[in-house]
Formats: sequence, C-alpha cells, structure tokens
Amino acid sequence: MLKRKLLALTIAAVVSGASHAAIDINGFASIKGGMALSSDDSLYGYDDNFSFKNESLAALQVKSDLGDKLSVTAQLLGRGADDWEVKFEWAFLSYDLTDNLRVNAGRLRTPFYKYSDFRDVGYAYDWSRVPQSVYGLGFDNIEGASLYHTTTLGNFDSSLQFIVGSYDGDAAIGSAIADAQIENITGVAWELGQDGYSFRMAYLIGKTTFYVGQLDSPTGLYAQLSAFGLGALAKKMDIVDESSSFAGVGFNIDKNDWVVVSEITKAKVEDSFISDQESYYISVGHRFDTITPYVSFEKEDNKAKTEIYAGVPTASPIFAPVAGLVNSLESERNSINVGVRYDFHPSAAFKAQYTNADNKTANRKDSVVVVGVDLVF
Amino acid sequence: MLKKLILIPALTLSFMAFANVAVIVHPSNAAALSQDDINKIFTGRAKSFTDGKAAEPVNLAEAVAVRADFDQKALGRSSSQMKAYWSKLVFTGKGTPPKELASEQEVLDAVAKNPAAIGYVSSGAVTGSVKVALTLN
Repeated sequence: MLKRKLLALTIAAVVSGASHAAIDINGFASIKGGMALSSDDSLYGYDDNFSFKNESLAALQVKSDLGDKLSVTAQLLGRGADDWEVKFEWAFLSYDLTDNLRVNAGRLRTPFYKYSDFRDVGYAYDWSRVPQSVYGLGFDNIEGASLYHTTTLGNFDSSLQFIVGSYDGDAAIGSAIADAQIENITGVAWELGQDGYSFRMAYLIGKTTFYVGQLDSPTGLYAQLSAFGLGALAKKMDIVDESSSFAGVGFNIDKNDWVVVSEITKAKVEDSFISDQESYYISVGHRFDTITPYVSFEKEDNKAKTEIYAGVPTASPIFAPVAGLVNSLESERNSINVGVRYDFHPSAAFKAQYTNADNKTANRKDSVVVVGVDLVF
Repeated sequence: MLKKLILIPALTLSFMAFANVAVIVHPSNAAALSQDDINKIFTGRAKSFTDGKAAEPVNLAEAVAVRADFDQKALGRSSSQMKAYWSKLVFTGKGTPPKELASEQEVLDAVAKNPAAIGYVSSGAVTGSVKVALTLN
C-alpha cells in the first residue's frame, strides 16, 4: 500500500515538476496466453494449465522534455508473473551533448544483446519472446550512466554505446535465482548498419558476487569445506568479487522481405562454480505483407567446471555435494521455434509461437505454445 | 464533347495527385534533398539539412492516405514497420518520432510558418506558401 502511494507521489512529482515542459506518454502491452503441450512438460514458466498471466505485461513510459537538451524518462512496468506489481523498469535523465552524443544516467537497460533495450516491447520484433537460450542472464538493468554516440561512417550508420554502473538484485544461477551484486560494470556495444544489413558486438566486464543461503551462510557448504581444511576448494567455488565477462556478436539482414537474425554470446564468471555459458540462435522469417512466418533454432551450452573437483577423491564425503553443485550447472539444450506475426491493426500484432526444447543434459523434451497480442500506444 | 475532354485531364491529375508525394519545406530553405536525406531525417538518423541547418520533420497521421505512400516511397517500409522501428527508439530513450499532424492542411501551415520544418503532402495539395524539395513517384 505504501509502495503504491509512493509510486503515485513519484508519478505526480514527475508530471507536475515538469508542468512547463512537453510530456510524451507512450505505452506498450503484451497479452499472451500459453501452455505446455503435455502434463510432464514445463518451460518458460508454463505448465499444462493455460495461463494468461505468465508472459503478459503492460507498461507506461513518461518522457518529459525539460528543454535545453535535457529530458527525463521513467518507465513503469507490471508483469503478470509478478502479480502485476508495477515497478520502475527504468528511470533516467538524458542530456544531449551534441546532436550525435547523448548521456543517459539512472536506471538503464544493460546493452548485452541486440534486443536488450526493447525485449519487453514485443511489438518491435516478430517472435513471441526473445530467444531464451541467449537472453538468459536473469537480469537486464543496471544503475549507472551511458554515453550514446550515433554517426555515419561512409555508407554505414554507426551507434556506439559506452556504459558504466552496477547491479544489485536477482540473477539466474542455473535454473535457480541468486541474490547478486555486480560491481564496476564497464561495457561497450557497437552496431553498424547499412541498407537492411546490420552487425553488432558487445563486450562487458564486471565483478560478480552471488549470495546463496545454502552455500554462503555460516552453516553452508563453504563453511563446512573450510572446517574440513578445504578452504582453498571453497575459494575456487564461491562467487565473491569474481572477474566476469560477457561477449556477444550478432547480425541482422532485412532485405527483400526476408528477415534473418543471429546472435552468439559467451559469459564467464572466473574462479567460481558458475559454468561457462555459450549460446546462440538463428532466426529466418519472411514478410508476406502483413503476415510474417518464421523459424528459429537456439542452442544453450553451459559447461560445468569439473576441474574444480578433479583433485577430490570420490570416496571423500565432500565429493558428492561439491560435484553435485558444480555439475548442476551443466546444461545443453537445443530449441526450435516456429511462429507467425500478423499485423492485423496499425498498433497491434497478433502472434503465435510453438517451441520445442530438447534438454540433452536432463534428457527431457518440453513443448510450449503461446498466442497473444503485442501493442504499442 | 468538350466537357468530356476537360474531364480526362482532370481525372489524370487527380490520380497523379494521389500517387505522388511532394516533400515540402519552407520557401526560404535552399538545401538540396535526396530521397536518402529525407529518409535519414524522417527516421531520426539526421537532425539537420544538408546545409547544416536544424531540421524539424512533421509527419502525417496514419489515417491520412498519403502517409502510407510516403512510408513506402521515402522510407521503404510499411507503416507497421515504421511503428516497430520507432517503438525500438522511443522505449529506449534513443529517439522521438516526428510530430504527427492530422491533415495535409496542418502540414502545409506548419511548414509555411517554420523555416526548419520539413513535411510532405500529396502533390495536388501543394500551395504557393511552401517549396517542393522533392517529388516521390
């Protein structure tokens, strides 16, 4: 309740504080329903009960132009999966240093991927969801500042973004969620485009700390290992201020109504039990006026760092918990998606997508179907 | 008979007016504009005319028929694709789409008043208060 009041006050402040300025209000929404295709299947939060809540969302964005090249943008977003609790997805101010150079500061989207900035705005792409094998770090935003530079290099449009900041919140660790802090994030993303072709690369580094109760608490695994005289092993596993990196490259072709998109990413957290993560997808679609069918293939390949427990005798009582934990982050999964986008309205698109995920590590296959409408207003 | 003869060019004219899009600027604007320049201005990738002066594009609302022609001929995309393009920029704080006006008359008025403005109307709607920078067939 207090939260809601605060929110209302904040909105009022944003709106009234800028009473002399031009205010743009835009919004987007996705209303989606889906289900897994068999009672044993579960994927992306769906089971075999049809759910309208799981992937639906709605957002309002308020942008106030304060004049003299200064503007403030706040985006309020509620997800069905969070019981529609509304949160500030972003809140930042922008200052145009020149026509080509802009500084944004505040809560920003981290530019890991090609679609990072607008992954919630389904209307902006053809799929029902961005490829989860690749877009799976489990966090999207940082608090910090970015410098965004656009220019033309010969025939190419170039957009170059530098970003610094930190993240404090949840992050994915295998299929679980950890309390994460990522400090000193520094990154660069560069996109070059020309006449329907574009190429992108991104590289970010940071210092990662994950807190997981069963591991980090005074009675957790690391404390037990230290008590056994295996403090060095605990150090190799724990995730405390570890050097981390993310690298991604991608391309996009939009030519003669063919749309091809691909991204390859690699993420690492050194000196920890987090597996090295390699992922890619490729998607091919064709636009027939208002109807765009597509197919895509995704691969996620997370390699467990088995070398961590290589020196531990299998007979040791700590072998099972240590190897179990390290191996739990091994994951090889291939997914195939088939779907269609239909622009039935100037501001809305109907979409349907079938996904089959083949998890080689867990030896299971899961299928899910989702239909819905993405709109902007 | 004479009446019919007059009717034929009139019909041709009105057809032409529907098919051709005139990109218009203020009469004082001397900048040369190619279709590519217009594309860059209307997609937010260029903020000024070729002579370096600031450009303020004004768009037509989707309800006006010539908008779809302009999107296709000048920008090479459907109105839906343009909306998807702008939603990428709007919801990332990276750009703001051109202001949309409800009628060709409003575009003519806005361009006639503002030396920085650039807009478009169907060729038949052009008046002497604006300058045609380029006609898109």
